[in-house]
Amino acid sequence: MSSTQTTEVSEPRVVHLEDLKVMVGGQGGDGTLTVINLLSHALKQIGAYTYDTRNVLSRIRGGHADGVLRASVRPILSIGDGLDVLVAFDEEAVEVAREQLLDHAVVIYDNSHSQLKTVLKPTVKVYSAKFSEIAGLELKKTLLKNTVSFAVLCRALGLADQLAEEAINWRYARRGGDVLQSNLQALKIGFRLADQLGVKPSISFPKTEPKQGLIQITGDEAVGMGFIAGGGRFYAGYPITPASEILEYLQANLPKFNGVALQAEDEISAINMALGASLAGARAMVATSGPGQDLMTEGLGQAGMAEIPLVIVEVQRAGPSTGMPTKHEQSDVNHVVFAGHGDFPRLVVAPADASDCFYLTVDALNLAEKYQLPVFILMDQALGQNTQTVPEFDFSRVNIDRGKLLTQADLNRISVYKRYEFTEDGVSPRTIPGTPDGFFQVTGNEHNEWGFVSVDRTNRAKIMRKRMLKVEAAKKDMPRGHVYGDQDARVGFISYGSNLGPILEAMEQLGKQGVKTKFLLLRSIYPLLEEVQEFLESVNTAFVVESNLTGQLAGLIRREYGYADKIVRINKYDGSVFRPSDIVSQTLSQLPRNGGE
Amino acid sequence: MGVSEVPKVFTPQTPIWCPGCGDFGVLAALKKALNDLEIPPHETILVGGIGCSGHIHNDLLVYGYHSLHGRLLPTAIGIKLANPRLTVIAAGGDGDGYAIGGNHFLHALRRNPSIVYLVMNNGTYGLTKGQPSPTAQIGFEGTKEIPFEPILTALSIRSTTFVARGFSGNQVQLQFVIKEAIQHANAGKGFAFLDVLSPCVTYNDTYAEWRKSTVDMNADKSFDPTNRALVFERVLNTLQEGKIPTGLLYKGESPSFESMQLKDPASPIATQDLTPAGKIEEFKKLIARYR
Ligand SMILES: Cc1ncc(C[n+]2csc(CCOP(=O)(O)OP(=O)(O)O)c2C)c(N)n1
Ligand code: SF4
Ligand SMILES: [Mg+2]
Repeated sequence: MSSTQTTEVSEPRVVHLEDLKVMVGGQGGDGTLTVINLLSHALKQIGAYTYDTRNVLSRIRGGHADGVLRASVRPILSIGDGLDVLVAFDEEAVEVAREQLLDHAVVIYDNSHSQLKTVLKPTVKVYSAKFSEIAGLELKKTLLKNTVSFAVLCRALGLADQLAEEAINWRYARRGGDVLQSNLQALKIGFRLADQLGVKPSISFPKTEPKQGLIQITGDEAVGMGFIAGGGRFYAGYPITPASEILEYLQANLPKFNGVALQAEDEISAINMALGASLAGARAMVATSGPGQDLMTEGLGQAGMAEIPLVIVEVQRAGPSTGMPTKHEQSDVNHVVFAGHGDFPRLVVAPADASDCFYLTVDALNLAEKYQLPVFILMDQALGQNTQTVPEFDFSRVNIDRGKLLTQADLNRISVYKRYEFTEDGVSPRTIPGTPDGFFQVTGNEHNEWGFVSVDRTNRAKIMRKRMLKVEAAKKDMPRGHVYGDQDARVGFISYGSNLGPILEAMEQLGKQGVKTKFLLLRSIYPLLEEVQEFLESVNTAFVVESNLTGQLAGLIRREYGYADKIVRINKYDGSVFRPSDIVSQTLSQLPRNGGE
Repeated sequence: MGVSEVPKVFTPQTPIWCPGCGDFGVLAALKKALNDLEIPPHETILVGGIGCSGHIHNDLLVYGYHSLHGRLLPTAIGIKLANPRLTVIAAGGDGDGYAIGGNHFLHALRRNPSIVYLVMNNGTYGLTKGQPSPTAQIGFEGTKEIPFEPILTALSIRSTTFVARGFSGNQVQLQFVIKEAIQHANAGKGFAFLDVLSPCVTYNDTYAEWRKSTVDMNADKSFDPTNRALVFERVLNTLQEGKIPTGLLYKGESPSFESMQLKDPASPIATQDLTPAGKIEEFKKLIARYR
């Protein structure tokens, strides 16, 4: 057939992999990500853990876009290093992936527009066919090239045709007859092409029974689900990458639980709507990214001063200003910890994977109401948007603690009710409007115990301390971090969020090279807890790993605990996530000559 | 402790406005309206803005919230959605509502939430000592800007359902429009927007001028407040004659924000039982599509 060609004819050797990395690349808006989605579903059916990421520009059409899917026999939280398979819909995708292609890699290339010019290693196997053109001619829809190529991809990986068909059914059954039928047809065309191309499985992944009790989900969706399970019923947001998925998730699902998710006119409005709802008694949350957090800062201070419970999700992206909207970064640590004028209390928790996103959202809702202050859930683009395989969430673990919320029955037992009463832990009982004897005055002006504006010096000093006391009191309830690795190691890593996966893999590689390491994963960023000091005491060198230029987390740790002589920074700020190899090489190049001993 | 001993809560404060400030008239009319309509105080929340006007929530025995400068509308909307049973009254200044809060004003008009929004319009920033506000007349404090006309703006948005203007120097009319506004909002009919001319005697004493220039549009029996286009024309013509139209200017129908957004407005979010125990099966349905 003139439309197809292969580079070699000899029987390919089959490479057996327990860890498979596949990239699909093309132009934004041409559906490349659906191939990742389909493959991820198919691989899950044969027992794989998957992790996938996307690399897109914020315009919908045009510009290079790709997705990387990694599948492993073990749980993974990183895209790893290297590529085993590339599906490329244009030359640019091949150029982008070239460096990462491993010796045994397979490239499936759509040559509808041009023959492949990029020179690849001779060991790389290339299958070229006019996927778009054929889909256009035979199905009148070039976009179906995705499904056509998916068929060829499955054949190259030795996945049963039936698995591919199931994936198509899973994805398109809901969309109705026509869409499903045309995709099934496209799949058949793809199999025919694979036959013509003589595609033989050259890479294989172990097939086991699908693992029970696992789900594939993004961090953003997990936050949405945690919010609902944790009693969250009022959400307000304004669309912003990479946090929009939380708004979308809650708009689709919150009404089922008699809650509401609103799209406000801007982030200033969103946070004030949430403050109003919280004041009225709803568990409320907003979610945004850096630029939106700028606008929410005013409301943040109000929550702190007026003591209104509020959860704020900050999914970091590459800043400053509009920055690189779709790109990964962790450069808002300073922003969430220090934003706002004046001194006021706040808490910052940081989940590391989708499971953690679910459970920490529940915790954040409890912390906000228990301590009556703003609580940040600090995330990052990779954590928010990458799909991960994690254990199903255990809803029976969800516990709701609304703190000192007085009912009329409680009020009947007390003689005086003051909204901002001085108490031992700094937390004053609150009421909600509608309670017959619970009248309050709530304000962001400095106030006395009644909530009336006051500039009295004695009161000012006392009530400032009262509010700040809550941060101390909350320490006992803040999520503890996890320590991984070799307890005796004198070389340590400190990090948070989506760096968990790459660091664990880097540690394994370093271990093979004789460097013993351990790792403190932080889940409470503010306040930092004793665990940080204990960890720093136990190592000679602590590498603080973060996706930013200036080392914001490292700075925060130094500010709190010192140890300037032990803290070494590992930073990446090119808009892409850490790969394990980045961490290995930066560790080795910065390790003190004595190996950190 | 016996049930008869009602817990002591805050005692409403005495207003701290300058003697003669128009806001006294607003407070008096608001008190009267709430009393006459027998609105339960504990089911009422007054959201104040930042400004001299933003002290009003301290002076009544209702739930009080002092919002950020310009942000009282989003706050009040959040309260209303969380608990539609409450009487929600947002009351702030003209700087608060038409300058820094202008964007929220437009979107509140468009969304039509069932709350009362009362603007104490004095054409100046009282609290920050007399700078011109968006409604200041040309020449006031040297301003060279054309004043904003909130009534025309409100009329121009097709989903507005209640537009009125009062004058704190005319108690009878003011009480009437406030009562109408509260009844409109509490009937779930939507956003009751009320601009009240409330002179700042210290920085912009407009009492005498406004006594002369205000016209009660409802005095003319041919004035039909349900015909948006005609109301717009009459208001515009009156303004062009150098007069200020007052009274209940427009009443229309459009679905309220809360009726569109809430699945079950009758069971408020704010008082829902949140314990997860009975909902585990529902939660599990959320998981199904991720398996
Ligand atoms: C973000 C912000 N900017 C500025 C101020 C200062 N400020 C306080 S009140 C006010 C204007 C008040 O004018 P208006 O809303 O008309 O109320 P009035 O005092 O006239 O009743 C300003 C600018 C503030 N509190 N917050
Ligand atoms: S400054 Fe003006 S607005 Fe403020 S209290 Fe005095 S008279 Fe009223
Ligand atoms: Mg004013």
